[in-house]
Amino acid sequence: MSKTAKRLTRILSMVPWVIAHQGASVGEVCERFGYTERELLEDLNLVFVCGLPGYGPGDLMVAYVENDEVIVDMAEYFSRPFRLTPAEALGLLASGSALISTSQAPEVLEQAVGKLASALGIDPDEAIVVDLAGEPPLVQVLRQGVTESRVVELTYTSLGKGETRHRLVEPWSVFSTLGNWYLSGFCRTAGGERVFRVDRIQQAQLTDQSFAPPLEPPPPEVRYTPSEDDVRATIELGERARWVAEYYPVEVLSDSGSEMVIEFSAGDASVAARLLLRLGADARLVAGVETEAALKDLRTRILARYQSQ
Amino acid sequence: MKRVIERLLNLLAFLLTTGRPVSAEEIRMTVAGYDHDNDEAFRRMFERDKDLLRNMGIPLEMRPTDAWEVEFGYVVPRDEYELPDPGLTDEERAALWLSAQVVRLGGQPSGPEALLKLGGGAMSGAGEPLAADLGQSATSLAVVFQAVTDRKVLAFDYRGRARRTYPYGLLHRRGHWYLVAAEGGQVRAYRIDRGSEYSAEGSAGAFERPAGFRLRDALPSLPWQAGEEDLEAVVRFDPEVAWWARRQLAEPAIEQPDGGLEARIHVANPAAFVGWLLAFEDRAEIISPDLLRSQLLDLVRGGSDE
Repeated sequence: MSKTAKRLTRILSMVPWVIAHQGASVGEVCERFGYTERELLEDLNLVFVCGLPGYGPGDLMVAYVENDEVIVDMAEYFSRPFRLTPAEALGLLASGSALISTSQAPEVLEQAVGKLASALGIDPDEAIVVDLAGEPPLVQVLRQGVTESRVVELTYTSLGKGETRHRLVEPWSVFSTLGNWYLSGFCRTAGGERVFRVDRIQQAQLTDQSFAPPLEPPPPEVRYTPSEDDVRATIELGERARWVAEYYPVEVLSDSGSEMVIEFSAGDASVAARLLLRLGADARLVAGVETEAALKDLRTRILARYQSQ
Repeated sequence: MKRVIERLLNLLAFLLTTGRPVSAEEIRMTVAGYDHDNDEAFRRMFERDKDLLRNMGIPLEMRPTDAWEVEFGYVVPRDEYELPDPGLTDEERAALWLSAQVVRLGGQPSGPEALLKLGGGAMSGAGEPLAADLGQSATSLAVVFQAVTDRKVLAFDYRGRARRTYPYGLLHRRGHWYLVAAEGGQVRAYRIDRGSEYSAEGSAGAFERPAGFRLRDALPSLPWQAGEEDLEAVVRFDPEVAWWARRQLAEPAIEQPDGGLEARIHVANPAAFVGWLLAFEDRAEIISPDLLRSQLLDLVRGGSDE
């Protein structure tokens, strides 16, 4: 938005408010609209010389300060601010609904979003719904690790072998994107930069070790970043399995419009195996020896469990 | 800048009060601040002013000046210009401001303009640095949002095909923005960042949402809750995965002596449910009903003969 547009927007917002609150103090108007006293006086002087054609005393708006009271008159046509742009309305409603969905929002926000939506003629249940992933319980501890620059110890249990593993991580940031909460940082155990999904971490504990955070931590985002020791698999997705390419960070190798071939990469072959199992006939493993073995092992174990009764 | 703003205020005051479309020529001769002598200078100035007002979101419209639609003039319809008063309290405004700082669209915090229009207020407290980002720049979203609220036909390209839809609603879930829209009677969800060339067509009020339509249900929060079935599954989770099951379940579960869990779960979509349960590998088992047990086993056996 240009400077002119910003200034004009502020004038067209301040004028209606003062008309509805005649005699408000200079201090109050300044605070409410982010003016310095000088800026406010300049804008009032400007309003004072504008109005309707004829531009005589009866046609111009009246705007001045007297005894520390702001007065605006003869400006009935500016008695309401102008409508919100779609982007502004969306921004307020979307962020409001998002915060409400985490159930951490104050009650007053719910009222505010409700009032705003109905003034805009929008039924919030019908037109716009925002569900932010709820904050998992571990986020608190991880945030503390970030603020205090303390190394955290993460605990994982692998499903297949039931092994418990630990990782020492220097936490850089905790963020929510793609509908999940993530921790990014330097993994001392793996000796490299990593991003972890918070809901998959079984436990997180602060240690006494501190670390020096990077001067410029990388932007909080999740990309398809297969590492050297990852297990890769090439998978063909049928039409009903296309969501996989949207939900996981993958590389799309080809896309015919119905079938799609992706490269999938994870630290453990069981991740792709589980995915293939649940997709059933909607997906096919094109290449990946380790994944094929993991899939076979997975089938055997589940069948054994269901048949042992 | 001072003279530009004066001219714009005069122009706006004029167009809000004439109650009829006025020609560029009339504006030039009537509104203070425009050049009466130089044609080219006036045209340039007037074009810039129109652009600026329109970019701000002010409804500067062209309408025929007579019934024969021979000539057109400019007008700012007051009912479209004015923001209806939502009657917000200072506290409510502050809450809106804070939430717009904490949750962002496309990485950008919202500017103060929207809040100024709503009556301003204390805009201190920048909130947490970056608690959450709803992703996606607001531009294409804004077009979709406007079409949804105006109930206009929304056209766009999606997966190599041009679509013309009735946009029912806009939904953000699991990190993505979805448009729920009807095309040829079929209601489905489109991921907005997968589409392009969004544009609203025709006039407002082009459709009604079907009775009982609920946007929230168009894309359910737990995948197995969306469906036609009405089953109750009893599932046993091993101690090693109990923590993970407990985190994801909507229903309370009964802890077993060995530290495992037994849960009764409402299932509306068996396929989604079985898919989810496979993530627990052999650390969970469907005890009943048989229908779900065999559906899971079919999937597990499925490819084993290949």
